[in-house]
Amino acid sequence: MWDTFIVIPMSNVLLWIYEIIGQNFGIAIILFTMLVRAVTWPLTAQQLKGTQGMQELQKDKEWLNIQKKYKGDKEKLAQEQMRIYKERGINPLGSCLPTLIQFPVIIGLYQAIIRALAATPLSLLNLSRSLYPFLDVTKIIPLNSQFLWMDLGRPESVQMFGFAVPTLAIIVVITSYIQSKLMTPPANPGDQSAAMGNMMSIYMPFLMGYFALTFASGLALYFITSNLLGIAQYAMMGRANWSNLIPGKKN
Amino acid sequence: MKVKTILLILMAVMLSALLSGCSGGAMGSNSWSGLTADAEKAYLANGSFVYAVTLSNGSQAWRYPVEKADTKESFFAAPVMTDDGQLLVASAGANHSLISLNANTGTVTWIFAEAEGGWISSLLVTEDAIYAPNTDGTLYALDLNGNLLWKQALDGQLWAPPVSDGEYLYVTSLDHQLYAISLRSHEIVWQKDLSGAVPGSPVLDADGTLYIGTFGSEIIAIDTTSQNTSWSTTTNGWIWDAAVLEEGTLYVGDLEGYFYALDTANGSTRWNPIQPNGPIVGTPLVTDDFIVIGTESGTAYAIDREGKIVWTQTVGGRLYSAPVQGGELILVSPMETDYVLVALDFEGRQVWNFTPAQ
Repeated sequence: MWDTFIVIPMSNVLLWIYEIIGQNFGIAIILFTMLVRAVTWPLTAQQLKGTQGMQELQKDKEWLNIQKKYKGDKEKLAQEQMRIYKERGINPLGSCLPTLIQFPVIIGLYQAIIRALAATPLSLLNLSRSLYPFLDVTKIIPLNSQFLWMDLGRPESVQMFGFAVPTLAIIVVITSYIQSKLMTPPANPGDQSAAMGNMMSIYMPFLMGYFALTFASGLALYFITSNLLGIAQYAMMGRANWSNLIPGKKN
Repeated sequence: MKVKTILLILMAVMLSALLSGCSGGAMGSNSWSGLTADAEKAYLANGSFVYAVTLSNGSQAWRYPVEKADTKESFFAAPVMTDDGQLLVASAGANHSLISLNANTGTVTWIFAEAEGGWISSLLVTEDAIYAPNTDGTLYALDLNGNLLWKQALDGQLWAPPVSDGEYLYVTSLDHQLYAISLRSHEIVWQKDLSGAVPGSPVLDADGTLYIGTFGSEIIAIDTTSQNTSWSTTTNGWIWDAAVLEEGTLYVGDLEGYFYALDTANGSTRWNPIQPNGPIVGTPLVTDDFIVIGTESGTAYAIDREGKIVWTQTVGGRLYSAPVQGGELILVSPMETDYVLVALDFEGRQVWNFTPAQ
């Protein structure tokens, strides 16, 4: 099921892009990521709307009142907050949901990359079964996994001063952090949901960085492209919270 | 908050596990076994281990490594015996090691670990040299003590052992090329585009003709003297492994599940292709009595030289590895079964099967 509806279509779209752009797998991943971003645009826009709702809530009279009123009763405060979220149609996890939604895409894309690059006999055999008839696979197999200095089927690092520096993983951490911060709503003391969003904006970049460090660099290329597109999308919609990037600054 | 944190960590662990499941870490299950045999033992390169199995009773003679598996080793190229009693095994794992074992004991004689890629291909061994094609696109030539003699960089990954006429080595590549390398100068003398990836070896005729199956669904005959294509025959599916040659007939299977007998003079079929119950990956085994093939559906077929099926035996799993003959037995190595080696007699009856100890 997962293979039929996620991995095989993703592999074929990747290979189709690879074929029409002149057999560059790195560019194919970048274009594929743009396609995924375009498809998930409405979802991201909806989440951004939720994030903006959270930001507006921080200035709301009723919201501020319940913060004061139930300062000593965390359980009651949480109940009241949930009631307000419900009444105003706000998703309290607005800042982290777009990232979480990426998870199935990440898994599918990773499997599609590994399948398409076919580094072992069994994966090449599996690939031969996964191809749609419109692809002229005789010409494109095997795929060229080289992109710039990277082998997209392997984890990436660059030798600097005798050390193997994982440049892509570092860029993934930085861009993931910026993206998370830009969409994190300001938090009031005691606001558990916003605090959760803040926590995610710290943990998620490192988690993504760990994946970029450990797995095929094609995945890291997807992360970076996706993050940059995300940042651009927030900026275009005028919802990027740039002040969050300034250390120590409170809203 | 604590519950949310735990959920987040759990999710991260699950994602890690899912990604790891399809990465190189699971290399052992990422291919089928390599199999070879002499008159007394079968040698099976299977995941992180190499097994020597006694043919008379199917018991394990030795295993390499003896104790714990090295996660950086992953064996699936067919082991190769040398005349001086070495068993050469090549790892596709992160160690990139080509290992010489004592065929009697399984102890290590030497290790060559200078290649940049893993070894998916088996090796060509001559009187005084080992020719080892690597996934880093380089052909390595070693002496029989594991010392590097020379190497030649080619394009694309090399998944199949070369053949030689004593003057040249002929190497096929996944980058659609056939290379002829001089054994004197070690340089590429000529190369030819085959219009499709070639994961299997060429077959060399006594008259100097090469027969090569490709992912372009073709069998191509190339005259090594003129470097011209003598003929090409279209098949129904991709050709994975090398064909086998016997007295003017070429036997080969394809991934669409057809088995062909071609006249080497012109590529015409000797009889209508047989369609067994699944794709054929491994090179057929030619015995005195019949030709044996294994199918992806887990069935071994014995076919006579007139194209009649003599017997079939359901082994189970998937038969991707080429069947081999060991003494009076036909050996097949199924994938996705508990037992990794099955011995059949010449009537197709199962004599024993071998399941590695946990």
